[in-house]
Amino acid sequence: MVEAMEFQELSNRHRVSGVPQTSINDGVGTVVGAVPESQLLAEIARVAGAAKA
Amino acid sequence: MSEKLLNEQIVGQIQDVFANLKDPVQVLFFGKERDCEYCDDTRQLVEEVTAISDKLHLDIYDIERDAEMAKKYRVDKTPGIVIAGRKDEQIHDYGIRYAGIPSGHEFSSLIHDLVTVSNGDSGLSQETRSYLKTLDKPVLLQVFVTPT
Repeated sequence: MVEAMEFQELSNRHRVSGVPQTSINDGVGTVVGAVPESQLLAEIARVAGAAKA
Repeated sequence: MSEKLLNEQIVGQIQDVFANLKDPVQVLFFGKERDCEYCDDTRQLVEEVTAISDKLHLDIYDIERDAEMAKKYRVDKTPGIVIAGRKDEQIHDYGIRYAGIPSGHEFSSLIHDLVTVSNGDSGLSQETRSYLKTLDKPVLLQVFVTPT
């Protein structure tokens, strides 16, 4: 958790437009809003790579 | 002595939630003496919460004076909170970090995280767990919030 108002510079760098906003690997991936687990998982997988065998 | 941040009613509600705590939890608080508007309040909040159950342990650090500790836990923002497991006197770091005061909605998240770590179950789906097991590099998740 990063409280955006206390860390405005960081929030700006991550282009936080609405909260909650999840930034993955320093902005490589982004999920805006409170989303279902599977949606967050999909974006993590997109950033970190598909599951290895 | 400053006023309590949590009133009796809230403490009672948290007490009920904490009745389900299983294993001990280690909380680390990182503050800074100057230029930290919410350090005092956050520290007091964490002290009051951890006092509610003897399964919760709290260590207070200063990010400058305890720079080695801050580096060890990769904390670079204050107020900073680490929620870790504590089993057999060993600390298990699950990578849970709070930067800034956990107020409003985030206070519930804090309480929930303490229970989750204590119970040692993420509550995630089988699909998510299977995928996460295949990760071979760290992934950083930063959830930006505002006080509600």
